[in-house]
Amino acid sequence: MHNVVIVGGGPAGLSAALSAAAAGAPVLLLDSNPRLGGQYWRQPDESFGDQGSQHFDLETGLLLINAVKARKEIEVWSGAQIWSATHKDGVNTLRVLVNGKEKIINTGNLILCTGAYDRTLPFPGWDIPGVMTPGGVQSLIKGHGVLAGKKVVVAGSGPFLLPVAAGVVKAGGSVVELLEANKSRRWITSLFVVLENLSKIKEGFYYIKTISEAKVRARFGYAVVAAHAGVNGELDSVDVAKINRNFKIKKVRNVKCDVAAIGWGFTPDTTLAGTLGCKQIVAKDGAVVVSADSNQQSSVAGVFVAGEITGIGGSELSMAEGVIAGLSAAKFVGCKVEVLKAHRARRAKKQRFATALINSYPIKDGWKSWVHQETIICRCEEVKLKDLHYAIDELGATDSRTAKLLTRCGMGMCQGRICGRSVVDLVADQLNVSPTDTDRISAVNRPIITPISLGQLAAGE
Amino acid sequence: MSPAEIKFYFDDQEVIGLTGQSVGAALLANGDRILRKTRFNEKARGVFCGIGVCFDCLVVIDGLANQRACITEIKAGMKVQTQAGADA
Ligand SMILES: Cc1cc2nc3c(=O)[nH]c(=O)nc-3n(C[C@H](O)[C@H](O)[C@H](O)COP(=O)(O)OP(=O)(O)OC[C@H]3O[C@@H](n4cnc5c(N)ncnc54)[C@H](O)[C@@H]3O)c2cc1C
Ligand code: FES
Repeated sequence: MHNVVIVGGGPAGLSAALSAAAAGAPVLLLDSNPRLGGQYWRQPDESFGDQGSQHFDLETGLLLINAVKARKEIEVWSGAQIWSATHKDGVNTLRVLVNGKEKIINTGNLILCTGAYDRTLPFPGWDIPGVMTPGGVQSLIKGHGVLAGKKVVVAGSGPFLLPVAAGVVKAGGSVVELLEANKSRRWITSLFVVLENLSKIKEGFYYIKTISEAKVRARFGYAVVAAHAGVNGELDSVDVAKINRNFKIKKVRNVKCDVAAIGWGFTPDTTLAGTLGCKQIVAKDGAVVVSADSNQQSSVAGVFVAGEITGIGGSELSMAEGVIAGLSAAKFVGCKVEVLKAHRARRAKKQRFATALINSYPIKDGWKSWVHQETIICRCEEVKLKDLHYAIDELGATDSRTAKLLTRCGMGMCQGRICGRSVVDLVADQLNVSPTDTDRISAVNRPIITPISLGQLAAGE
Repeated sequence: MSPAEIKFYFDDQEVIGLTGQSVGAALLANGDRILRKTRFNEKARGVFCGIGVCFDCLVVIDGLANQRACITEIKAGMKVQTQAGADA
């Protein structure tokens, strides 16, 4: 019998598993990937050999992964996808697809560490094969040893663009442009925050060194605002624009490339937590996150949350939260253990760094001016901006939920994970209002966690 | 140690991938970037998020439609087909 069930085998989930097990609680760790590590420590099959060169600090990851595997109190299910979940009277029921077979778990003690995915913004041509997220380009390199294309444009905003550009260079590709939409060096605003987080600064310099050795120069105040396909229907070039402080286009030039990796930070994947009834709130940057108390407990007793789903903060904050969540969950099931002051202090320190970073890479409203009437907004259901405008101007939709129901925007297979956040902004813009927290939270309300086909289920039953 | 080669098929053409690679990764390594055509506008789509979130990389695998190429591991003899529309 497992006392604590953990979902997610990234930095947060691994840390939670270790601290809960060390406190004496038997743990079941579920993760949908074939190998532990989450997004940060993603690795290919072990037959690929040493992967250290594709990571800044794989050692920490391997240490955690091996420690988890070595502990007999921890049972690991890799390749386990939770596709549906419910909560009733203190019992959480998880429906898990493991190698084609469905298993059902009932538990009162859960730790959710489901992480985040790249935030994207729509622009003309963003659905052309070859336009990808930076995380996608990186996961192909880290997890499969595959470079998505030779000539790569890396663009968007946030510190994550650096490891992606460095990864492309190390994998033998050429970064033809590295474009940060915000102006440079804004983030060295608080020397104190920098000094207490030297490891992260070291990591930044490591990427910058790799990139500069390949003679790649980052440009600040630039963005990719359109993509164009060649005759074969694949990406041929992108329009690179010099933009002003509010992201409005000043001047455009065309750049040839095979791949454009474009991302705007991350969006927490709170779907599972939301389905179980955990309270969600809107963070300062507009992201919907799961609300957690000082012990990482959500609004549902016995359901703890850690890592990116409580707010984007990077791997070190995820680990610090994971340790606390593991201890709290162990205490919840009766283990004699306390969260220490030192644990909270470590989390607070990482939180200050995360906040400083988020404040330094704002996504400004001007991106909406890149989107045209014919631009696809919902990739799944092929809904264009003009369809959303029609729903508002002609059909009388007065909020994003109604506009969504009228157009099917955000109702395809990804359940609005890709477009949902942007749709809320675009609809509010057309209505000339500011998006409310209710708009944002209702956009992440999804009936199921991951759509699976009947064939997949039938195979298991 | 180096990864073993795995032979599978994409639209009846033989493709060689490596142990543990996803269908999407092995196809990209082979230069295949178009994985499906959309339902309404018949637009080409391929791997976008790379981590199973966006559902843009949908292909038909051994007769089963709507499979995410980016997270499905290749297996010897697997038959992968371009997906047309919602089904195939
Ligand atoms: C593609 C990508 C690449 C990234 N690379 C870097 C990087 O190089 N450097 C960096 O500092 N940060 C990177 N990040 C940011 C990263 O999210 C954090 O640094 C860190 O990995 C967060 O840890 P976590 O434990 O919260 O979540 P994650 O590492 O995201 O782990 C979450 C895990 O939960 C699993 N999961 C989610 N839902 C389910 C479900 N329903 N059923 C079963 N399992 C589920 C996922 O498969 C995943 O393994 C990346 C993010 C992404 C999306
Ligand atoms: S590329 Fe997004 S789900 Fe496969």
